[in-house]
Amino acid sequence: MIKQFIRLEWKQFFRASYFQKGLAIKILLILAALYFGGIAIFMGIGLFFILKKAIPDVDPIVSANNFLIYWFLFEMLIRYFMQQLPVMNVKPLMTIPIKRNTVIHYLLGKTTLSFFNFLSVFLFLPFSIVLLIKGYPILNVALWFLAIICLTLSINYLNFLVNKSNTVFYIIVVVLFAAIGLEYYGIYALSEPIGVAFNTLYNNPFLIVVPMALLVTLYYLNFKYIKSGFYLDDAVSKKVKEVNATDLSWMNRFGSIAPFLKNDMKLIWRNARPKQVMMMSFLFLFYGLIFYTQEVYREMPAMLAFASMFVTGGFLMTFGQLVPSWDSEYYKMLMSQNIPYRKYLESKWYLMVVAVAISFVLSTPYLYFGWEIFGMIAAGALFNIGLNSFITLFGGALNRVPIELNVKAKAFSNTNGFNPTQMLIALPKFLLPMGLFYIPYKLINFEAGLIVLAFSGVLGIIFKGFFLSKIEQVYQTGKYKTIAAFGEKK
Amino acid sequence: MIVTTNLSKKYNAVEVLNINSLDIPKGQSFGLVGNNGAGKTTYFSLLLDLIQPTTGQIKNNNVLVHESEDWKPFTSAFIDESFLIGYLTAEEYFYFIGELRGQNKSDVDALVAQFEDFFHGEILNQKKYLRDLSKGNQKKAGIVAALIGNPEVIILDEPFANLDPTTQIRLKAIIKDLAEKKGVTVLISSHDLLHVTDVCERIVVLEKGKIVKDLITSKETLKELEAHFSGVEVE
Repeated sequence: MIKQFIRLEWKQFFRASYFQKGLAIKILLILAALYFGGIAIFMGIGLFFILKKAIPDVDPIVSANNFLIYWFLFEMLIRYFMQQLPVMNVKPLMTIPIKRNTVIHYLLGKTTLSFFNFLSVFLFLPFSIVLLIKGYPILNVALWFLAIICLTLSINYLNFLVNKSNTVFYIIVVVLFAAIGLEYYGIYALSEPIGVAFNTLYNNPFLIVVPMALLVTLYYLNFKYIKSGFYLDDAVSKKVKEVNATDLSWMNRFGSIAPFLKNDMKLIWRNARPKQVMMMSFLFLFYGLIFYTQEVYREMPAMLAFASMFVTGGFLMTFGQLVPSWDSEYYKMLMSQNIPYRKYLESKWYLMVVAVAISFVLSTPYLYFGWEIFGMIAAGALFNIGLNSFITLFGGALNRVPIELNVKAKAFSNTNGFNPTQMLIALPKFLLPMGLFYIPYKLINFEAGLIVLAFSGVLGIIFKGFFLSKIEQVYQTGKYKTIAAFGEKK
Repeated sequence: MIVTTNLSKKYNAVEVLNINSLDIPKGQSFGLVGNNGAGKTTYFSLLLDLIQPTTGQIKNNNVLVHESEDWKPFTSAFIDESFLIGYLTAEEYFYFIGELRGQNKSDVDALVAQFEDFFHGEILNQKKYLRDLSKGNQKKAGIVAALIGNPEVIILDEPFANLDPTTQIRLKAIIKDLAEKKGVTVLISSHDLLHVTDVCERIVVLEKGKIVKDLITSKETLKELEAHFSGVEVE
């Protein structure tokens, strides 16, 4: 039976649409996988030495154990956003005479092959090998490694359960931030007791039974859960929720674009994928922290301009680049309705502008880094509104990938919005603000750079009509292609 | 109302539709029947300018469909579930379509109220998104949405499929009423010969993209169609 399953799986993989996409994408995907895998391996090898150097008077294995909890929490977050649980594929098997238990075991077993589980292996296997080379006791290291793998798999199965409940997710987020905060300000190092626990685990190899028991328990819980409602897709897809319709009629004041705006608001609130994008775009707000806190970048204003654009541009770029794709599920209807493209585009543009404005307000804490930084964020916001929005919409128009609205994006298997055209169109988004700022900065001074960057945005707003008609033309000429692409079965 | 001339559609040299001439007068209820792959949906898609014709043209009320968009205000359609917006409730969807067709909320309410029977209490006030409705109920919502805004041409692809018997009977009454009393040109396709002969004044049989029969519905039509599709031709 299992052999049959594996054969099916094989076909599914090689016949999947994403596999049959262009060569360039395949290469990029492989490179991405190699990149992350490679980074993990190097980290794993280097970890021992890094820890030794950073905290010389503590045994690296002890420091590693102390920080392990953060790794796991991080892993949990990433998984929540990126890991898709393979469920639908089992649907056709449900009516075939196969024992339910076999199917469930197979399904749960399959999730162990997820890339995320390997990430842990990539990281901790080299680390363990380094430990062994350095003469640490074999039994302890081997069982410690095994314990880590057990915990990784436990998270894998925990994620299964977490995915059904937002509450669990928010608890994890709060705990993570609280712990980091407490640790950072030296109030209470939560990592200590947990670190002690991991160290005990390392020193007493027989304690491996604890993570093992955890893994078995979680596996069993999943098993029971799935079995209780064998309609697998029910188990993972959200229950049919009661709609609490919000009255958006106040938006009617936006005139002819109001119907689209109202629809877009609902699109974002009521579908998993756009919600995910919105969450992600929220993270962009923190992008500045990476750049502004490092002295190195202080000397590289072009990089700062780039970062400042990102701070307010998260939603604009992540949402905007998929603009017609968001409506792909019902694009045929839109096309046969009495819809002016212009209004449709304009509503998306307003949505992006509002998002930039909100991000800008939220970015006021960056004042902490001084007026110069904040001035850059403001100029970046103007650039986003005036130019970046149109570049993004233009790029979106060339992007004809259908999106399943209520399905979360999968990591590494979802190439939606990920194609060479998209990469090309992304370049000006990054280079333009850098150039617009850097050239006058070099030639005149810092303020000149800011003014030019901001003014480019203002120009964009003034010539809004022109840009929109250009994008409209792209839509018109690509109409049949787009309809055909959106109609393709996934 | 709808004049088709020399229309053909090819996909990679395979011809899926070839209609020399087809003239559908205003107010006619027109039925299209044919086996799978006969070209029914292709024809409707061409009518809605969702695909490009390889040769020829369709004129909808003297508007060249693939060149001008002026046919849109008086034409409406429900082809399949991809015409629904899954994350809206039925009411929200009706209002959205209404807004696109220049109808205000009360216009839409008034129209939708006429179809309470048809909905059978399963569409309105359900607090459910369209994507969570059953196939049949989705279809009901889609069909009624196609009636919003007093269209003069209504195109329904397989409207009877997935509907329960009660709703099928009610739908027949609605379609008849549209064509007879309101002068609306209704185009439907169906696999159910009985339903089409019941509803349509005229039936065209497509086979591999070509018109093989063009009948004005009479008592004998059903028999003739059944004979045709069972492969026994009666002369």
